[in-house]
Amino acid sequence: MTRKMHLFMATALASTVAFSAQAQDNSVTIVLSEELEFVEPCMATKSNVGRVLFQNISETVTELDPTTGLQPRLAESWEDMGGGTWRFNLRQGVTFSDGTAMDAEDIAHSLVRVKSPDIACEIGAKVFGGIEITSNIIDANTIDVTADPAQPILPMLMSLVTVTPQDTPLDSFVDQPIGTGPYTFDEYERGQFITLTANPNYWGDQPTVQSATYVFRADSAVRAAMIAAGEADIAPSVALQDATDPEMDFSYPNSETMFLSIEHAQPPLNDRRVREALNLAVDREAFIGTVLANGTLLATGMTPPSTIGYNADLEPYPYDPDRARELLEEARADGVPVDAEITLLGRTNNFGNVLETMEALLAMYEDVGFNMNLEMVEVAEWLERYAKPRPEDRGPTLIQALHDNANGDPVFSMYFKYHSDGQTSGLAYPEIDAMIEEATIATGDERTAKWSELFAYLHEDIIADVMLFHMVGFSRVNERLDFTPTIRTNSELQLSQIQFK
Amino acid sequence: MLNFLGKRAIASGISFIGLVLLVFFLSRLTGDPTSLYLPLDASDEIKNQFREIHGLNDPLLVQFVNYMGDLIRLDFGDSIRRSEPAIDIVLRGFGWTLQLAAITLSLVVFFSITLGSLAAFHVGGAFDRIATFFSLVGASAPDFWVAIVAIVVFSVTLGWVPTSGTGSFAHWILPVAVLFIRPFGLIVQIVRGSMITALSSAYVKTARAKGIRNRPIIFVHALRNALLPVITVIGDQAAALLNGAVVIETIFGFPGVGKLMIDSILQRDFAVVMAAIIVTALAIFLMNLVIDILYSILDPRIRY
Repeated sequence: MTRKMHLFMATALASTVAFSAQAQDNSVTIVLSEELEFVEPCMATKSNVGRVLFQNISETVTELDPTTGLQPRLAESWEDMGGGTWRFNLRQGVTFSDGTAMDAEDIAHSLVRVKSPDIACEIGAKVFGGIEITSNIIDANTIDVTADPAQPILPMLMSLVTVTPQDTPLDSFVDQPIGTGPYTFDEYERGQFITLTANPNYWGDQPTVQSATYVFRADSAVRAAMIAAGEADIAPSVALQDATDPEMDFSYPNSETMFLSIEHAQPPLNDRRVREALNLAVDREAFIGTVLANGTLLATGMTPPSTIGYNADLEPYPYDPDRARELLEEARADGVPVDAEITLLGRTNNFGNVLETMEALLAMYEDVGFNMNLEMVEVAEWLERYAKPRPEDRGPTLIQALHDNANGDPVFSMYFKYHSDGQTSGLAYPEIDAMIEEATIATGDERTAKWSELFAYLHEDIIADVMLFHMVGFSRVNERLDFTPTIRTNSELQLSQIQFK
Repeated sequence: MLNFLGKRAIASGISFIGLVLLVFFLSRLTGDPTSLYLPLDASDEIKNQFREIHGLNDPLLVQFVNYMGDLIRLDFGDSIRRSEPAIDIVLRGFGWTLQLAAITLSLVVFFSITLGSLAAFHVGGAFDRIATFFSLVGASAPDFWVAIVAIVVFSVTLGWVPTSGTGSFAHWILPVAVLFIRPFGLIVQIVRGSMITALSSAYVKTARAKGIRNRPIIFVHALRNALLPVITVIGDQAAALLNGAVVIETIFGFPGVGKLMIDSILQRDFAVVMAAIIVTALAIFLMNLVIDILYSILDPRIRY
């Protein structure tokens, strides 16, 4: 072998060894499915942004835990002052990573910023859409926050508001986020990686993981291969077909619910019998373990079982194609245009095997006599047909959608999906509007009961949609880590919760 | 030559304006990006604010005039998706693409010309069989499949090279190797065919009759004449590489301009789409110019 060849081999070997060394000691490498567009805390409800920033860099006033419910974070306690006002008593001795102390001014500024018209933050739009938020600073560690209209779940809403220093600009995104979290933001080499390191001045316990590198790979097989090769430690999202190693792969309820949205005003979908037939025609069990993962749950409502008011008494519609045919015949005899072509609209790349799932649904519907046409469209076109205002010439359409609610309360879902004014609602029933409005302002057990009652009414009385599945996601975790994904892994990944074996 | 370059510059300038016009209006036909960037349940007020911030409320013609005005000042606008100047994002990606294309193409040119020439000299011999085998493999194996298999074999099983990413010499090995296969398979066949024709020419027979050795006959006399069609194909392949190797970039996490362009189209990030197309169009224009000049160097009969 020539000297040049020796040099070539040595360089290649050294490069590989150097690369492998990244995933050692108390550092972790996390491989995400897409690059972050922003590293802006007020966009942290976007899952890829949230997995880096949420509770790692930027903390919230309260924190929603999937098992224990709402917990203190930057606030130690809170109380309802009446009239839509909640008082938050802030934790003392908290500093931002730039060394400045966190106080009530920062909370007030963060609330203004997430609603700043100049930056159109996702958190402001998602959490406080249609709500006026004002704050009143009582002292450095006490702040009153008022929502108009009143929000009984304001403390829960505050679990989504990332706190930034009061000098953070209101008219532009930041590219070097500063927060109070257990990590500081080090570097973002666009297209390549992001690094975080432990914040030595963190107010809480020092995390075990001292540094984290985030890399981006669009292909699920590559993400899985990186964990297998020891190049990375956690792939929060891998496809079903790549989750083949029970030692490394975890399934978890990913808080997403798959359903077919029905616009009730469009004949023949305005007939309850047709909507019942649409539900009875689907063999839901046949999907699980075939095109969808084992562990997928049958859905009876829009939100996963972990949300309050989830109605466990409801039964999924059975697979009864004969009854579906009878219902269609009855409707036809009454002059309902059941032979009208219905568009079954799917969203490409919405989840693994979406095309196979939609084709199976189409076959089941055609089997009972529906005249249906499957259309798979890109996200942009799908959004235009799913959200209002919808195209004038749309005709009867069943729209396949995934809805994500990991926040523990149906309020994040029900207004937008089922209220007459909801942006993606296919319904216009005054009694449902009233039920949503009542449940939204109720508290405690009454709130739970009202949501539960609404779930039953939608599922059994109105037959609002074709509810299908509560989905599961897959994560691959390097065996050296002691970390189990949860329902929150879909939107956040708290490095401080990771331990080494 | 200067006259020719001037004419080409004018023709390219006209094409460039047409391209900008076409891409600007076609990309806008895909629709309003607002719904892609805001939550489904965002209020109309917030959506309107978003459109205002990004100049989407203006009539299309006004948007175009504003864009052209900015473009003359070399202001390509800001990315909606990343909130930074579109040209910075594109140049960053294009730098990676250019490196990947240059390395791959250099290897392809060297190996395909060498192997193709030797294959043509002994038709049916060992080199010919190797060249034919690799060209068939290259033409028939899909990039994404080769890439995944290469990762499983060389990274996961053998642990020789990293699966993906950037940062060291080793990171380049798999992307370049996978990207190499297809153009190599194509060009080696072109070289072989072209060389077989050249080697059967009268001037080669004359050279042989004069007792000139094989190596100068192949690489000096025949190759120079055989290269003209090869350069045309190399130009095509180079243009494809400059547009970005989307599959390779996606699988190997390579931050090039190809995946950036696709993502920007899907996300209706118009400023980045425009900047990416303008930059790659300029690069391809320059490359075509180089190819034209190469023609005249290789074949003195060609005069511009």
